[in-house]
Amino acid sequence: MDIRELVLKQLRTVIDPELGINVVDLGLIYDLQINDGNIYILMTLTTPGCPLHDSIVGGVKRALEHIDGIRDVQVQITWNPPWTPERMSEEALRQLGHFL
Amino acid sequence: MIPTNTAYETNIRLPLLFIVFGVVAFVAAQAILLAAGPAVVSGVFRLPNIWAAAHLAVLGFALMIAMGAMYQLVPVAFLTPIWSEQLGFVQFFITAAGIIAFSVSLAFYAHVALFPGILLVLGIVLFLFQMGMTLRKQAKKNIMTLFVGSALAFLLLTILFGLTLALHFWSGSDATDHLFILKTHILLGVCGWFSLLIMGFSYKMVPMFSLAHGFSMKLARYVYAVYVTGLIVTFISFFQNGRGLFAAGAGLLLAGFALFAYHIWSILQKRVKKKLDRPFQFALLAIGIGLTLHAAAFLLSLSGSDHGMATVIYAYVLGWIMFSIIGYLYKIVPFLWWTHRYSKKIGQENVPTLKQMINEKWTIVQCLLFTVSLAGVVIALTVSSLPLFYAAQCAMTSFSLFFAGTIISVLWK
Repeated sequence: MDIRELVLKQLRTVIDPELGINVVDLGLIYDLQINDGNIYILMTLTTPGCPLHDSIVGGVKRALEHIDGIRDVQVQITWNPPWTPERMSEEALRQLGHFL
Repeated sequence: MIPTNTAYETNIRLPLLFIVFGVVAFVAAQAILLAAGPAVVSGVFRLPNIWAAAHLAVLGFALMIAMGAMYQLVPVAFLTPIWSEQLGFVQFFITAAGIIAFSVSLAFYAHVALFPGILLVLGIVLFLFQMGMTLRKQAKKNIMTLFVGSALAFLLLTILFGLTLALHFWSGSDATDHLFILKTHILLGVCGWFSLLIMGFSYKMVPMFSLAHGFSMKLARYVYAVYVTGLIVTFISFFQNGRGLFAAGAGLLLAGFALFAYHIWSILQKRVKKKLDRPFQFALLAIGIGLTLHAAAFLLSLSGSDHGMATVIYAYVLGWIMFSIIGYLYKIVPFLWWTHRYSKKIGQENVPTLKQMINEKWTIVQCLLFTVSLAGVVIALTVSSLPLFYAAQCAMTSFSLFFAGTIISVLWK
C-alpha cells in the first residue's frame, strides 16, 4: 500500500468521540505532507476551543507514529479558514442523519 | 493560514469533586422535602427543614454543580485556562463544609446560621475571585463573557443579601426589611445568577452539541439587555413595593427569556447534526419549561398571588435550572471520565464514543420520571393535595437516586 494511503487509513481510526466520525471524513485534515519519513499535518477542529482538542491531536500523532519508516509526526492546528460542514464526506453526513 | 496550537484542560478531579458532592446533596434535599410534606402542601414554606432542603438543593446541588461545570467549561468556552487549580481544591473544601454546616444550622439552629454562612460566603468569594482572575486573562471578550461575568456579579449580590438575612435572624431586626431582602435574594440568585449563567453557556454548548454553523449571535445582546433590564425593574419594584412596576419587571424578564428561546431555536435550525442526543434534548426542553414559567410568573404578577408565585419559583428552580443542569450533566460527566480513561488511547486502540459511556435509554426513563414528578408536585401544591404530593415527591426522590446511580456508574466505564 502507498504510504499516503496507509497514513489516511490510519487517520480514519481517529474518531471525534462526540460524533463518532473519523477526522478524515469530518474534513478536519487540511494538509498532509510526507517527506523522507517525516509527516506534517495541518488540521482543524469543528469548533474553536473544542474540549476534545488534546485528545484528537494526540490521537492523530499516536495513530501515525507506529507506521514503519515514520520518524516524526508534526500536527499543527489552525482556525483559519474555519471548518465548515461542506468539508464533510457523504458518509459523515449520512452518519449525522442527512439523506434519510 | 495562521496556525495556532493551544490546549485548555482542567484536572478532571476538580469538576468531578463538585459534581459528586452536588449529586449527593440533591438526593438529601429531595428526601428532606418528602419528609416535610404536610407543611409544603399547606403553603408553609418558611420552616427550618424546608430552608435546609431548599439550600441543600440550590447551594449543594445547583451551585456546586455550576461551579464544577465552570471549572471545566470556562477554559473551553473562553479559551483561557483556570487561574489556579490549587485554589479550586481549597475552594471546594471550604464551600462544601460551609454548605453542610449552613444547611444543618438552618434546620436546627437558625439563629446562629450567620456563622456557617460566613464560611460558605468565604468559599463563594474564593470562587468569584478565581473566576474573576480567569476571565481577566481572556484575550478576546465576547457576549458570553458578558452573560457569565454578570451572572458572577449577581452571585456576589445574592450572597450579600443572603448574609444580611442570616444577620437578621441573629439580631432579630425589622420584618418589612426582611421581606424585601428575601425577595431580592431569591430574584438575584435564581434569575440573575443561574438563568444568566445557563443562558451564557447555552450559547457555547448548543452549537457544540448540535454542530451548528453559520448562525448569527447578534440577537444575544438584545436577550442580555432586555433580561437584565427586567431584573433591575423587578428589584426596584421590591424596593418601592409597586405592583405595576413588578408586573413590568416580570414582563421584561419574560420578553428577554422568550428572545433567548427564539435565538436558541434559530441556532438549532443551522445544525448539521440532525438527530440530537437525548440528554441534550432534555436541556432544550428545560428552556421550554423556563419560558412557560416566566409566562406564569408574569400572569401571577398581574393577579398578585403569593402562594402561586412560590409554586412557580419552586417549579422554575427544578424545571428550568435543575433540569438544564441534569441534561448537561448527562453529557459533561461522560466527557470528563472519557478524557480521563481514554484520551491517551485514541489512535492506538478502539475507544468508546461519549454516547457509549452512558445508557441513553435509561436517561430517557429518568427524565420522564423527573418531568412527571415535577408536574405532580406542582399540581399537588396548587390544589393542596397531600396524597398527590407524597406520590409525586416519592417519584422525585426515586429519580434523584436513579440519577445519582447513573452519574456514579459512568465512573466505572
